[in-house]
Amino acid sequence: MLSSFFYTLKEINQTVSKMALKGEYAVLETTNLKKMFKKNVAVSDVNLYLDKGESVGLLGPNGAGKSTAISMISSLVKPTAGDVTWHGKSVVKDPNVIRMYLGVVPQDIALYKELTAVENLRFFGRIYGLKGKALESQMANVLEIVGLTERKNELVKHYSGGMQRRINIAVALLHEPEIIIMDEPTVGIDPQSRNYILEMVQKLNQEKGMTVLYTSHYMEEVERLCDRIYIMDHGKVIASGTKQELTSILSSEETIWIELDRSYPDLAAELNEMEGVLRVTETDNGIKLITPKNSRLLGSIFQAAERQQVQITSLNVQVPTLEDVFLHLTGRKLRD
Amino acid sequence: MKSIFLLQLQRLRREPLMVLSMLGMTFIFVFFLGGFKTYGQLDVPVYLDQSMNEEEQDALLAKLNESESYVFTETDQKTAEKQVALGDAAFAMKGMSDNYRMLTAADDPNQVLVDQYVKQIYVEKLRLKEAEQATGDADYRSKVEAALVNAPITLTASTAEGESTSGGYSQRNHFLFGMTLFFSIYTIIFSLSKVAEEKRTGTWNRVILSPVKKLHLYIGHLAYSFMIGFLQIVFIFSVFRYGFDYEIGDNYGMILVAVACYTFAVVALGMLLLGLVKSLEQLNALVPIISVSMAMIGGAYWPIEAVSNNVILGISKVVPVTYGMEALKGISLGQSMSTLAQPLAILVVIGVLCMGIGINLMERKV
Repeated sequence: MLSSFFYTLKEINQTVSKMALKGEYAVLETTNLKKMFKKNVAVSDVNLYLDKGESVGLLGPNGAGKSTAISMISSLVKPTAGDVTWHGKSVVKDPNVIRMYLGVVPQDIALYKELTAVENLRFFGRIYGLKGKALESQMANVLEIVGLTERKNELVKHYSGGMQRRINIAVALLHEPEIIIMDEPTVGIDPQSRNYILEMVQKLNQEKGMTVLYTSHYMEEVERLCDRIYIMDHGKVIASGTKQELTSILSSEETIWIELDRSYPDLAAELNEMEGVLRVTETDNGIKLITPKNSRLLGSIFQAAERQQVQITSLNVQVPTLEDVFLHLTGRKLRD
Repeated sequence: MKSIFLLQLQRLRREPLMVLSMLGMTFIFVFFLGGFKTYGQLDVPVYLDQSMNEEEQDALLAKLNESESYVFTETDQKTAEKQVALGDAAFAMKGMSDNYRMLTAADDPNQVLVDQYVKQIYVEKLRLKEAEQATGDADYRSKVEAALVNAPITLTASTAEGESTSGGYSQRNHFLFGMTLFFSIYTIIFSLSKVAEEKRTGTWNRVILSPVKKLHLYIGHLAYSFMIGFLQIVFIFSVFRYGFDYEIGDNYGMILVAVACYTFAVVALGMLLLGLVKSLEQLNALVPIISVSMAMIGGAYWPIEAVSNNVILGISKVVPVTYGMEALKGISLGQSMSTLAQPLAILVVIGVLCMGIGINLMERKV
């Protein structure tokens, strides 16, 4: 189990080293990236790479160091140690090597809310050197992509949260970047707008071939959008790989999901003591067990429920998800 | 840089309230304190000694009211004493043939100025009287007055307090300069606070991540704040000069230079404050404290010449308002370039120092 996790990290390092020896560079690569704020280590030894056209997820709970990592990757914050390279050139030494080719969607709505969407786009287009017809045409394109053409002349402060998020993305797309870094772009919006944004990111990656680095603490977003995933916790990358590679960390285990009519802490405690149960997690309306594959524990679970006089509303045996992998690696849920 | 500057103008067009309110406040305060014409002149109650005949009384009152700064109103002794006792007047004057008395209830900086003015009139009067007696010529006074109409040499002594011949110190100008410089501090620093706001919303970082150089980003913001402060001051001076006949001096070039130096110093001070504070809220709390203290210490509310406390006078030496007031008063009195060079140079030095430290502190925060 742990060996498969370390294998994944080893594999990445080997791949990166081989590429460098051949003179082939990943589009973007970080080497032993570290950031300290006074004596606190925010990010430590982060190694990751992105190939052209890839969609890569950076997954981790709040405070895992994702935003600090992407601040260093995007050249906003200078790392304490390590390097970030863009096509083999150091971004730390010369931040300008990446800036023209990079689009960043910050977690906050980084817009002038007292201005209209068009005025915001025009300003940000100009600072990227766009002007005249090229600027107007690009503005029309991005407004079309984010679906705000009809409402482009409204003040941003009058937009809904979802629309503000969309125009926040439009600004990052304006100069047609090679790579787009999105820092939790769906935080705090309704499911409909969220779905719209996810579809948009998917299209940008699959149809326009844009390289995407997507950070989130929503497992389902990363699972849906990303070819490869880096899982971060406490400032470190604790696992990485494709979804299949990551879930294979738990290949010898399975998840038993018991749905209950309400929370029963006594049942969770009894299950935790049960032989063969590797981990017990209580959720709002049930209990999640991680057990060895084919452990044949269902009978014992029903008996425990009978003893505790608990009503089981449903029971599922599932293959492990990324959420389970995260739980397994860190001992806590993504949104803890 | 141009894009950053134009963006700030666009934001001002959308939200002009702050700048307009500072303009409005300046007008209200200057009108209220400095007045349109006679309003705002210091009213001094005068009661005259019974030993003076009516002709002498009229002559004295006419002479006293030659000043543009004071209005001497004749009243009886009881009313004058009552006014001073109740605080309706800060002081009153008793006029006698060869002497005068000031009736005061508490210390008042204006009393010193009025006293100097009245004293000068009496000194002149007594000199003429002595000369009359010495020469034995009863028409001596009228001969002197006739000679003064076509005087071969006219000596005009001017001081920062005002023209010495008229006693004064122009209160109207003082309030115009003081209130304009005071409210411009708010406009300049609040317009500069957009930097703190942009840092909070994340647009600052977004621009940093673009190909725009950080130097250009700073210059764009600083140029905007400078322009908005400079135009506010120039606009107010123009309105009061041409609309209400305030005599701010004829050397418009020097006025513009003085306003530019002062605005630069305040913009730089704003940068220093931005570097010192941790949030926009802190800055918003700090600006009124700093601007009011600077205006008080720097002599925007009352003449710095009326302050005798050495500590306050010492602090006033590092406050841009002091030098802004000094330069503007000097220009209104027609002082030479060499005299004005010192306050203007100090404003530039304050500006350079504050700007350097401020930008340094801001960059360390990143």
